[in-house]
Amino acid sequence: MVAQLNLSSETVAKIYASDHLIVCPTATVRDVFQQMQTTNNGAALVCDGEILKGIFTERDALKLMASEANLDVPIADVMTKDPVSMGVNDAVGKAVAKMSFGGYRRLPVVDDAGCALGFVKARHVLHYLVAHFPNIVYNLPPSPHHSTKAREGA
Amino acid sequence: MINCPSCDAENIPGVDECTECGQALTDLHLPMPDSAIKQSLLTDRVSVLGPKTPITIKPEMQVQEVIRMMVDENIGSVIVVQEGAPIGIFSERDALMKLNVDYAKYRERPVSEFMTSAPQTLEADAKLVFALQRMDIGGYRHLPIVGEQGELTGIVSVRDILRYLAKALTADSAA
Repeated sequence: MVAQLNLSSETVAKIYASDHLIVCPTATVRDVFQQMQTTNNGAALVCDGEILKGIFTERDALKLMASEANLDVPIADVMTKDPVSMGVNDAVGKAVAKMSFGGYRRLPVVDDAGCALGFVKARHVLHYLVAHFPNIVYNLPPSPHHSTKAREGA
Repeated sequence: MINCPSCDAENIPGVDECTECGQALTDLHLPMPDSAIKQSLLTDRVSVLGPKTPITIKPEMQVQEVIRMMVDENIGSVIVVQEGAPIGIFSERDALMKLNVDYAKYRERPVSEFMTSAPQTLEADAKLVFALQRMDIGGYRHLPIVGEQGELTGIVSVRDILRYLAKALTADSAA
């Protein structure tokens, strides 16, 4: 049975991932780089206590590399402050709209008090959508123009 | 169990003809799209996403030049091309995971040492559903689009797909 696809009532709470990396604003950029590498995370949430202050993504990292910036400054100086975020009870449809029209690939998820809970990524949304039509997506031949050379059994 | 459309007898899924009346059942095994969005995913081709012309580089280009270029052009990944065919992809993620704080040490090395080799590609006339499958299962955010001879012709990103789905879903619920 395929679940009813309802982007306006299903909430972000169901699809976001909480395997995120949290760093404090005073951590150095070098530190954050290394933590992102070891935890294989493309972004870090910068939190003061539990309150979301900003985010630092691989895009920001790339810019720092290009400008050969000093990596020993606090992350708070280079992070994106007050990023566009999602409430945990916001609808999935809102995330889709923000991502497809705002050009974001990941949005931080916060609760009512502004505490950071994780990220909702384009990949999560895609997976959520795919899960609603699994039989057309997962029952595909190995390549788009797949044809067998001989008749089966012949 | 599948029911025979002519005599309504129950049959084991996968049988070729109805055990009661001999009616061919092979057509029933094909997934039938039951909504407009499924229909469009199964019939539309990757080309409807309007694959962008990707920024390409040579494998021997220096890492520092590549990164400079990605920042200047505001792009997340570049395709490494040799003799017209995509042999690798270098993304923000590769820069962070493979160069990291040692960037200064590696900046003059060729990008081919740090790229992700042999990226998953797709033909422009493949059905959209394949792009969805590749991205969901493989976790890719970019898929290079190739022509018949394996030459690079475009690139689609996970955001192109989301934009398409967002549009299709709003059209679906409005209908």
